[in-house]
Amino acid sequence: MQGNDHSIVRAVLAGDKEAYGALVRAHSAAVFRVAFRIAGNEADAEEIVQEAFLRAYQRLEKFEQRSTFGTWVYRIAVNCALNRVGQPGIEADYRHGEESDPETKTVQVAAQDADPERVLLGREVSAAQELAMQRLTATEKCAFVLRHLEERSMGEIAEVLGVAPNAAKQAVFRAVQKLRRELAPLRGNA
Amino acid sequence: MKHLSEDEQMEMYYDEGSEGAKKHLKACRECAAEFAKFKRSLDAIKPEEVPQRGPEYGDFVWQALRPQLIPYEKKAAGWHGWAWWKTATAAAACMALLTAAFIGGRLWEQRKSNGPDVAGNVETQRRVVVVVLTDHLDRTERLLVQLNHADPQDKAENAQLQTEARELLASNRLYRVSANKEGDPALAGALDRLERVLAEIANDPHLTAADLERVRKDMNTSGVLFEVRVLRARKPNQEGGPTSAKGVSI
Repeated sequence: MQGNDHSIVRAVLAGDKEAYGALVRAHSAAVFRVAFRIAGNEADAEEIVQEAFLRAYQRLEKFEQRSTFGTWVYRIAVNCALNRVGQPGIEADYRHGEESDPETKTVQVAAQDADPERVLLGREVSAAQELAMQRLTATEKCAFVLRHLEERSMGEIAEVLGVAPNAAKQAVFRAVQKLRRELAPLRGNA
Repeated sequence: MKHLSEDEQMEMYYDEGSEGAKKHLKACRECAAEFAKFKRSLDAIKPEEVPQRGPEYGDFVWQALRPQLIPYEKKAAGWHGWAWWKTATAAAACMALLTAAFIGGRLWEQRKSNGPDVAGNVETQRRVVVVVLTDHLDRTERLLVQLNHADPQDKAENAQLQTEARELLASNRLYRVSANKEGDPALAGALDRLERVLAEIANDPHLTAADLERVRKDMNTSGVLFEVRVLRARKPNQEGGPTSAKGVSI
């Protein structure tokens, strides 16, 4: 696959634009997965996928044959997602409908169902988790998603985020701390 | 015994813990209980279900992307092709041409500098010296004129004279020494008399009206002024400089 990808890249650089379609078809699902996990919604994830493959095409001459195209476009997608999540407008959308009661330290989730009685505990936990994730900074969220959900090593995370390995580890650590603190009331209830 | 920090627990959770931390966790019940809690809390954070994308998704992305892509220019040949040799040969020819032009230029410069340019440089140097000396004599003349017509009661004017005299004194010494070395006794003598006047004005800590008057009379500043004017008129003509010196109206 890797050798095949490299030969496709060479063909694209030689002027065969259509060959790029094969790379897009092969890697778009993996790129969508990580984009969705970081962005948190399908619409943004799909835009990230488009942006990542477009950027990759535009920078194809800089693609080093040492790595695989899949890894390379994955990193580009994480960066696109990081930029998108870091935008103030996006953050504001995430926080819409969210309220926090400082006295009881419980998280109130915006009702997504007309009948509150039908909201199950599992769904509440999952929604609270989503909200807690949105409270993380873009870097913390990215680092946590890559480590906890995508199971990438600290070295890979550092490389993707363009930071030192220790900084990547600290980002994951801060995310873990914040998530545990945010979700502690729910664990008590459960 | 030092218990595991949250940071170390996180490392343990992600299988990045040190050997020491692993051993401690096995030995310490307190840490083991704490780590179990830590593990439960992180295990609870489950990945959100990613919406499934069918096999046609890749096609969908490609169709949306395709119109935005501009094809790369076709490369006729790679690094090993004929085009590379043509480029390399052209580059080598350019380098050779540049080197030849550089060496030729250097040789031409060297040959040229052996000729009349040396004399030209000496001439230029001499002109610079004459201009500098003329400037010194100009300033000195102005000072002596001011001295001869100064109001003895005007303290501000006297202080200005003294400042100017101090500045001129240092340069005057240099010119006098140079004139002596060059064997120009007329210039050296005039500069010597001038220097004494300048020193008298410059070095008096409390220059009074009476002092100025004394300098004027005792040192015959009018006579020194005349000598300076003669020198100013003489020097440029001798050295081939401007024939008419700038004068100062008295």
